Amino acid sequence: VRTKININTRGELVSCVGWTTADELYSCSEDHQILNWNLPTSETSIVVKLPDDLYPVDLHWFPKTVGGKKQAQAELFVLTSTDGKFHLVSKAGRIEKSVEAHKGAVLAARWNYDGSALITAGEDGQIKIWSKSGMLRSTLASHGSAVYSVAWGPDSDRILYTLGRQLVVKPLQPSSKVIQWKAHDGVVLKVDWNSVNDLILSGGQDCKYKVWDSYGRLLHSSSSHDYPVTSLSWAPDGEVFAVGSFNTLRLCDKTGWSYALEKPNTGSVFSLAWSADSTQLAGACGNGHVIFAHVVEQHWEWKNFIITLTKRRTMQVRNVMNDAVDVLEFRDRVIKSSLAYGHLVVATSLQCYVYKNWNTPLIFDLKEGTVSLILQAEKHFLLLDGAGLYIFSYEGRLISSPKFPGLRADILNAQGISLSNDTIAIRDKSDEKVILLFDTLTGKPCGDGKHLTHKLEVVEIALDQSGPSNDRKIALIDKNRDLYLTSVRHIGREPKICKIGKTLRGDLFVNHGVTIIWNDAANILCGIQDNQLTVWYYPSIIFTDKELLQKTLLTKDSSDFSRAPHILSFVGTLVTLRRGDGSLVYSNVLPYPALLHEYSASARWEDALRLCRFAKDQSLWACLAGMAMANRELNTAEMAYLPRVQYIKFIKELPSKESSLAHMLMFSGQVQEAEATLLQAGLIYQAIQVNIDLFNWERALELAVKHKTHVDTVLAYREKFLQRFGRMEMNKRFLQYSEGVEVNWEKIQAKIEVELSKEREKAANVSVRTSLATRR
Amino acid sequence: MAKDPLVMAKDPLVMAKDPLVMAKDPLVMAKDPLSEAGFYFDEVDKLRVLEPEVSQKTSELKDECKEFVDKIGQFQKIVGGLIELVDELAKEAETEKMMAIGARNLLKSVAKQRESQQQQLHALITEKKTQLERYRIEYEALSKVESEQNEFIDQFILQK
Repeated sequence: VRTKININTRGELVSCVGWTTADELYSCSEDHQILNWNLPTSETSIVVKLPDDLYPVDLHWFPKTVGGKKQAQAELFVLTSTDGKFHLVSKAGRIEKSVEAHKGAVLAARWNYDGSALITAGEDGQIKIWSKSGMLRSTLASHGSAVYSVAWGPDSDRILYTLGRQLVVKPLQPSSKVIQWKAHDGVVLKVDWNSVNDLILSGGQDCKYKVWDSYGRLLHSSSSHDYPVTSLSWAPDGEVFAVGSFNTLRLCDKTGWSYALEKPNTGSVFSLAWSADSTQLAGACGNGHVIFAHVVEQHWEWKNFIITLTKRRTMQVRNVMNDAVDVLEFRDRVIKSSLAYGHLVVATSLQCYVYKNWNTPLIFDLKEGTVSLILQAEKHFLLLDGAGLYIFSYEGRLISSPKFPGLRADILNAQGISLSNDTIAIRDKSDEKVILLFDTLTGKPCGDGKHLTHKLEVVEIALDQSGPSNDRKIALIDKNRDLYLTSVRHIGREPKICKIGKTLRGDLFVNHGVTIIWNDAANILCGIQDNQLTVWYYPSIIFTDKELLQKTLLTKDSSDFSRAPHILSFVGTLVTLRRGDGSLVYSNVLPYPALLHEYSASARWEDALRLCRFAKDQSLWACLAGMAMANRELNTAEMAYLPRVQYIKFIKELPSKESSLAHMLMFSGQVQEAEATLLQAGLIYQAIQVNIDLFNWERALELAVKHKTHVDTVLAYREKFLQRFGRMEMNKRFLQYSEGVEVNWEKIQAKIEVELSKEREKAANVSVRTSLATRR
Repeated sequence: MAKDPLVMAKDPLVMAKDPLVMAKDPLVMAKDPLSEAGFYFDEVDKLRVLEPEVSQKTSELKDECKEFVDKIGQFQKIVGGLIELVDELAKEAETEKMMAIGARNLLKSVAKQRESQQQQLHALITEKKTQLERYRIEYEALSKVESEQNEFIDQFILQK
């Protein structure tokens, strides 16, 4: 991802900019002019010439839409000036009202999200709240030094402002607790707070920018730049942010790492503003330029296709299998896009395109321009815009549009919503313990209309993608970072919510990137747990056999997963993760579990058993056991459980500690360790026997010859083995030894008996000795 | 040449005294009654009130004065031209000087410009380096996946 920059000059130092629509920008400069920049026609016109004594400082447009409804009020913006006033200015440039607000310059002014209040901060260190019409409501804070920047919290119930080197989060409720912390080594110049991801951004004279969560915990701190950070701004969708400094413009991911750096000749960038669709950026520059930047070169990958947004209206599709390249052209600017399940969904400012092959897209018009999220499931996809959420089929038919009281479509993000073929799950913003569930096809609440309530606040949710709808499960992570699994379609009684793991350490990255994801084809869950990548081959096993859960896990330990990664996708057998520093890493999962899921879904138990025998993997047997039990397929379950039950019984009956330890190791497949343990304990015969049991003939013979004992035992077993399969001895070493040794089964049995009794005796001695030792 | 008119300008003054001196002489002689009455005859025997010598000197003086005025005028013109020329030169020198100062400053700032350009390029290089590092890590991860897949394929084939 990078930005494409376009520089325009007009007059003197530009102090502030603000978008009206995605195509129109207003800018104010020191020469008392308000300019209107029309992007499609690239025309610039003077809106109004302000009085000569009015030097503008900051401007902010009155919010356009509130909860999906258009504001009735005429379009206007607030403009602050150095003489301590703020002005309400109409779109035509008429100053409707001027209010004496502060002593000294008014440095910042911001409307809250529903436009019911305005906050101003001034050089006199005061912060004041005003009504929509400009009547003073209260003075929220008053300090000794200037407040340079101010921002509203996501629910408009808190504000964030700078105070010297510190940042302050102050709730509007007078009795609530104020959070204050030292943020930078220099004066903090700009702050911003995103409503979608709830993250705070700050930049200061120490030439750094930092990302915080709303509790003031540091998530990222940049390296020192050459010049102070003079401006920064979150893109409204909360995915990226922009940072401005002297001759510098930087585009960063929400986790703080930098996508792109530009060094335009602009002087200091004093103010940055994103258009509402998060694709365009404008900056007010010290040398009189206004710069426009467009975000381009985003990538989407799915299986063998790589799609790149090359220009604002052009995408390039590359098939890496044969290097075939297709170019997709759009009439309007591309705003959002998603590629999964063989379909590409592109939302432009007016239309939605659905591609299955690259030639003939299906096109339909969008009601509202700014799509903020596209989610895909196998059969349909979800579009989220400022007004609500809509489910469309890949044929472009509107299937449903779930609605519920308190829906804030403007602040939903990918972690708060999950889509599957039959169910949509949404985290309730008003009560974060509740997960709302809807039927995809009807848009009505699921089942009996009761929502899922967890005992703690939920931070992340994920619905599984395959299997029948009455078996739909949801994985959720709560505030303690515990991972739970529960069924969403239940009839009658309340479903169990079962804990299946603990994901990423709790101190960092709350609300911050996806940490669990379901496979696109099978109900395999992948998550990050204690710096390990963990794959739950069959998480539903928790409902049938809790004990087996740990056995169905695959954990991958790597330094790649330690640095705060989040998961981007889990398609087929490939997991894609993004590390904290921005690099992509991949991990591979064996294809067997997915196959097993398939066999179990189609009740092909014979094939499933054969697969397990072929793969010789403990975790697969455990999965099969769980699946068989869940499907009441007792024969298969017996087969899956049987060898283990017998083996455990066998281990329990072993005489000494060493050999049971060795067999425990064998149980988990660590043959060499088991053999070493036995040899260490001097149990040569047992070691040989282990190898015989594994049909590891050569090793058994080697051990026997080396320790000059039980050579005949090995040969006897070998002979028996060959006889059963009706084959002749071909191994040269066995032929050589069998000549000198006569095989007598009775003698051998006696010898074995002796060995075993010796072991028993020894074990008894040890226990006596230890008991004596403890008595002393 | 410039001095000459000045020297000449003095001469008429000196000479201007002479007629007075000479005017006293007839008074000293005071023999001729006509002269006593203040009447004189000139060379062409015309009656004159002024002594012929004086009148001659006067006209000479007048001529010389005229000549002097002319010369002064000429001098003024020449000097005016000169001043104009010098002024022009001064102006030119001034602009040259400003240009020199500008050039010198520019030269000084070039070094600074270089520095800032260098700084900018360095920033861009660091950016590219971090991107390269990201690609390297991605490449490594993909290589690992590839080797794992190859291993799996080998195993699969062997077991079959």
